[in-house]
Amino acid sequence: MDIRAAIRKTIQDMAQAPLPGDDGESLFNAGVIDSFALVELLSKLEAVLGVQVPDTDLMPSRFETVNKMVAYFQQRM
Amino acid sequence: MASILGFGARLPEDVLDNAALGREFGVEPAWILQMCGIETRRVAAPGETVVDLAEGAARDCLERVAMAPADLGGIVVGTGTPHRQFPGVSASLQQRLGVAGIPAFDIHLASVGGFFALATAVELCARYGPILVVGAERMSEVMARPPRSKETAILFGDGAGACIVAPGPGPVSVVDIQMQSDGTFADELSLAFGGTLAMNGRAVILQANRKLRQSLAQLLERNGVAADEVGLWLFHQANLNLLKQMAQGLGIAEERVYLNLPRYGNTSAASILIAAAEAQKEGRFRPGHAVMAAFGAGMGWGSALLAVADTGTDPRWPTWAN
Repeated sequence: MDIRAAIRKTIQDMAQAPLPGDDGESLFNAGVIDSFALVELLSKLEAVLGVQVPDTDLMPSRFETVNKMVAYFQQRM
Repeated sequence: MASILGFGARLPEDVLDNAALGREFGVEPAWILQMCGIETRRVAAPGETVVDLAEGAARDCLERVAMAPADLGGIVVGTGTPHRQFPGVSASLQQRLGVAGIPAFDIHLASVGGFFALATAVELCARYGPILVVGAERMSEVMARPPRSKETAILFGDGAGACIVAPGPGPVSVVDIQMQSDGTFADELSLAFGGTLAMNGRAVILQANRKLRQSLAQLLERNGVAADEVGLWLFHQANLNLLKQMAQGLGIAEERVYLNLPRYGNTSAASILIAAAEAQKEGRFRPGHAVMAAFGAGMGWGSALLAVADTGTDPRWPTWAN
């Protein structure tokens, strides 16, 4: 599975603004997601990627960019 | 078995609206409403202390339940803004009610403090008798500390709520109640002595969503109750979007979620008991099931399943007559 593509598609499906071209850019600052959308996004990514994010990892800074999400989920797959 | 005999509340008279906050921070009132869903907050008058608010809620509750202070077996106060480091609000409240000799103590927790006080009372009442539970906050004192931040100043209000928990059956039985804490994220929502509120809103929302949903799912499953069988949902009134998301996630009809956040803002430990007191007055408790759930600094969270009895024409529970 192409994790990056899966993550980008999942974000795109619920994005509130166009995804930035740079995967290192903050999705919050770009207006793509807010705190509430992040809750739903993580829930969808858990289902799509088959990875459970434990409560102790639930910090917005870990999931602020596409790159950070890719790194996080790659480690756990 | 423990039961809640009734609720009470005290809100300060002074109203702080979005127009006033907009002038102070140079923003449009509509922006404030869009950010937090709050239209007005109540603010304690100069000299009106958290103890005054707690006493007002306690006396309102005692009157509604038709109970004398002398009949109380204990006092538990949840607050994150006590008027002094120690002894707590409970000591002053006990003195004002003239009920020396019974245990009285504070649970020093913002937001979830009122709920934890209720859960503690459920455990205590079999041994000590009817327990007065109070959630009281004077958040405006904290919000006044410089530098004032519009991100937090718009959110909070002052107030107090109360209930009495007694052993045995009653109008609202506590079927199940649970408290949980996780200190891992303590710094994401904190208040240092004399300092300003430190809040990582995104982290709090993420944690609140996950933990509350889990708590509620466990609570309902353990008791064999489906979410759509619950007639009234009483949440800590923290954030309008969070409440809507919780309702959507749990598949709850929004009209079953009690909401007074737009009128009072987030009154922290007081909010869930104020909401319950207003719900009682408005006849929102109907025979069947009700749920309470709260989340806050610590982090702490919890939920309770209540069984609401049908007591016919009891005027203290208005719609039961209908």
